[in-house]
Amino acid sequence: MRRREAPEDGSVRGEDGGVGRALFGDRFTSAASAVVVSATAFALLVPAALVVVLSFSNDRFFDFPPHGWGLGQYRRLLEDPRWGSALWLSVKISLPVALLAALVVVPTLFTIHRSRLPLRHALQVGGIAGIILPISAYAVAMYGLYAQVGLLGTYWGLVLANLTLAVPVMLLVTSAAMSRIPPELELAAMVAGASRVQAWFAITLRLLAPAIMAGGVLAFVTSLDEAVLVNFLGGPGLETLPKAILDSVRYGLEPVITAIATLLMVGTSLAMALAARLARRVGP
Amino acid sequence: MSADIVLDIQGLSKSYGQTPALQDVSLQVRQGELLTLLGPSGSGKTTLLKVIAGFEAPTSGKVLLRGLDISRSSPARRGVGMVFQHYALFPHMTVAQNVGYGLKLRHAPRVERVRRVGEMLELLHLDGLEGRYPRQLSGGQQQRVALGRALAYDPEVILMDEPLGALDRALRLEMEEQIRGIHRELGATIVYVTHDQQEALALSDRIAIMRVGAIASVGAPAQLYARPADSFVAGFFANANLLAVSEHELLGDGRARVRCGGGEVCCATSAAAGDPVVLAVRRRSLRPTPSEGSLRIAGVVAEMLLFGDEQEISIDSPALGRVVATIDSRDCAKIALGMELELFAAAEEAVLVPLV
Repeated sequence: MRRREAPEDGSVRGEDGGVGRALFGDRFTSAASAVVVSATAFALLVPAALVVVLSFSNDRFFDFPPHGWGLGQYRRLLEDPRWGSALWLSVKISLPVALLAALVVVPTLFTIHRSRLPLRHALQVGGIAGIILPISAYAVAMYGLYAQVGLLGTYWGLVLANLTLAVPVMLLVTSAAMSRIPPELELAAMVAGASRVQAWFAITLRLLAPAIMAGGVLAFVTSLDEAVLVNFLGGPGLETLPKAILDSVRYGLEPVITAIATLLMVGTSLAMALAARLARRVGP
Repeated sequence: MSADIVLDIQGLSKSYGQTPALQDVSLQVRQGELLTLLGPSGSGKTTLLKVIAGFEAPTSGKVLLRGLDISRSSPARRGVGMVFQHYALFPHMTVAQNVGYGLKLRHAPRVERVRRVGEMLELLHLDGLEGRYPRQLSGGQQQRVALGRALAYDPEVILMDEPLGALDRALRLEMEEQIRGIHRELGATIVYVTHDQQEALALSDRIAIMRVGAIASVGAPAQLYARPADSFVAGFFANANLLAVSEHELLGDGRARVRCGGGEVCCATSAAAGDPVVLAVRRRSLRPTPSEGSLRIAGVVAEMLLFGDEQEISIDSPALGRVVATIDSRDCAKIALGMELELFAAAEEAVLVPLV
């Protein structure tokens, strides 16, 4: 016989002692995990919330709680051309990065998921190496390489560097979507009279399009946010937004960066939400 | 070559590396027939279908469609239709777009396309659903759309790869009825793959039974059932008991005298001189009542399963091992587990077959 017990977790359990102990264990672990999850969420969100709050203070220096409230930080942000040009450079780097990432990733996806190449699984692992390797080691290696070929301190050097981070991000997102598209769809199209290329474009790529767009958004955000490689590989005249923020913190704490941080958080959150929506949609 | 042969498969072999998947398969499919490839999983029936469709290239051999060698043509050029096990409908296209896809690729004029799609939807009882997307349809409706997509451009032959495998039993019977109806109505030539012998019996004009990459036997269902070519066909298709034979003599003219389980019968045979043989006796051929010249098997009742109108009785015979009979429940009243039981089969219902 079974009866309903422990309405908190809604589970059905038997009445013997063993299950009773297990039930206690269950309650303990679920309570403990609730505590850990809330603490983690709290620790992650509090600094972010603090920055948002501080961005609406009118003080010239950091102080908490702020003495005066207003949009002063945002006004200062708009008045200083340095921030605008840094943002513009970041966008100018990140748009081609997102585009090029798509051009690299789409053929890679077809190779991994539709070919019978013996090394296709190695390609999948190799494709995401850029975000598995420690970023500082990666940066040092790229610095050595760039010094050899004369890409240090160049715009295209930064595009290429960010591409090595954007491609893995995009590959992860689109690969998951690609594995949900049955290969039979292409076969069905081909039997009905489509060439292989027609079947790729009209069926698989069409179904993959939302995931590619989501991957593009994530690639763009990854590149926009890149703060390590630019310190190694950038140079005079190549001050991206993350680098400008780092520099401003390094040379003196200006409260204006709370406004930038807030705008960045809002912007990337919106972009991520858009990407998540797109990624969930495979098909119409 | 006879004019009514649509598909002519000649000596087809296919191996993946060292593993052979098809070995020297030859088969002719006639105009307007529904031929089933029946076999256990791994017997090569789906591989054969893929080679016909052009998804796999044969290692050797040819596929002729209306006398034309299509072995090396792309799937698109072959002009065959295919229904997949999991429907494989295009999720971003409506029902009408799915059905009309082949016509669109053939650059059929719009008016013609709309007419033909309408015709298909009516035939398949899908009228009113043309604007729906596949995910808004039931499994049976999706399978009908897949059927319509394969039929719409009027292909020479339609390939069906276990099309009812993903449906539940009730729906499967309904779809079998529908496929039979379409086959009759349109006179379409169909090559149908299944591992379910009931489905094969219900649908087929002819059945090709496959075993480890080769065709074991081809024939009309009744013929395969009553006169199996070998022990595999008898066991897999007719679900027959394969009984050890102590002595046999071929009398010529397809007859043989057989000693089995202590008795002697005179029965039909498909064996040649020198073949190792067994006696195939179908479960329903065994009855608890004797008749003139029948085969007699004695044993202890080891298992009884009730199937409603019928019961499956297993007896353990000292000479022949486990023998299974399907018997009318009305004749089972006196049978109980553990008792001695004698079963009889009329001589004309036993077949001496070569053992493979």
